[in-house]
Amino acid sequence: MAALFASKWSHVGRSLLGCLASNSSGVLRTSHEMTCSNYFSQQQRTFIQMRTKLKVVDNSGAKEVMCIQALKARKKGARLGDTIVVSVREAHPRGKVKKGKVCHAVVVRAAMKRGRCDGSEVKFDDNAVVLLEKGELIGTRVFGPVPHELRNTKYVKILTLADHIV
Amino acid sequence: MRLEKCWFCSSTVYPGHGIQFVRNDAKIFRFCRSKCHKNFKMKRNPRKVKWTKAYRRLHGKDMTQDSTFEFERKRNRPERYDRNLAENTLKAIKKIDKVRVDREARHHASRMKGKKAKEHREAEKELVQSIHMVKAPAVLQHEPSLTLPKIKVKVSQQQSEETRAMEE
Repeated sequence: MAALFASKWSHVGRSLLGCLASNSSGVLRTSHEMTCSNYFSQQQRTFIQMRTKLKVVDNSGAKEVMCIQALKARKKGARLGDTIVVSVREAHPRGKVKKGKVCHAVVVRAAMKRGRCDGSEVKFDDNAVVLLEKGELIGTRVFGPVPHELRNTKYVKILTLADHIV
Repeated sequence: MRLEKCWFCSSTVYPGHGIQFVRNDAKIFRFCRSKCHKNFKMKRNPRKVKWTKAYRRLHGKDMTQDSTFEFERKRNRPERYDRNLAENTLKAIKKIDKVRVDREARHHASRMKGKKAKEHREAEKELVQSIHMVKAPAVLQHEPSLTLPKIKVKVSQQQSEETRAMEE
């Protein structure tokens, strides 16, 4: 009799557990899918490293560049305000810069958050750069918002050219 | 030092707190904590989320129009430092705060005014409408199946069965 009861209880218990487990796994899967879709719809929020493609926000003639080296010898990569070496992937016809040119660039917008001097953080919509030639800007205009942290770098001229400083 | 408001919950963002997101058209979204930032990333509307100030204002939960709110304002002209003015301001802050709290309490009281009477009325109505669910004590004595003790007896029987099983 005892055995009978025990078997009954264990069976019920197992079925209950099984149902719970299946439920929980279902919930987990759906939430995971949601986060994944959300993640891929947004800009990757990581360091700017080799093969990162960035938008060019000046009138140098380049449209899209690819990072081929982050200067400053940081292991992980470049962040907002850092200098990188880029190769021009796409360019406007009759621009100052041709496709395939290798030059330096300053990251003026990054999707990865960057700490500010007061402890808060700032992040942007996309990854964008301004191209340099021997330490000087190639273009004569800068589009879109630019962080005020660039004041601490050598390229204060970007701030004077920019239309919005945040 | 400027204290900004959180875009999502409209609370004050103190220096060194939170994160700000700059959209490509240079609009700045400030968030007081990761909770608000996450809700923004989930594209939630602050007017539809119940714990935000926007929702409470929209649904008449909080006091919206009051002269005490006029003191807290965004001023783009820097004020020249004046010792007497600063002293008076510090004194006034306490008084204004007290007035505001009192008025908020009054607002809450007026909002909750008819609640107790309404509940009472509803309870009375339920009692009238569903009196058939309540059995008279005489009926309960005639029919023991309607009472609670019957169920208790059943449980005790089960227990006794189980104990017997254990004994075996």
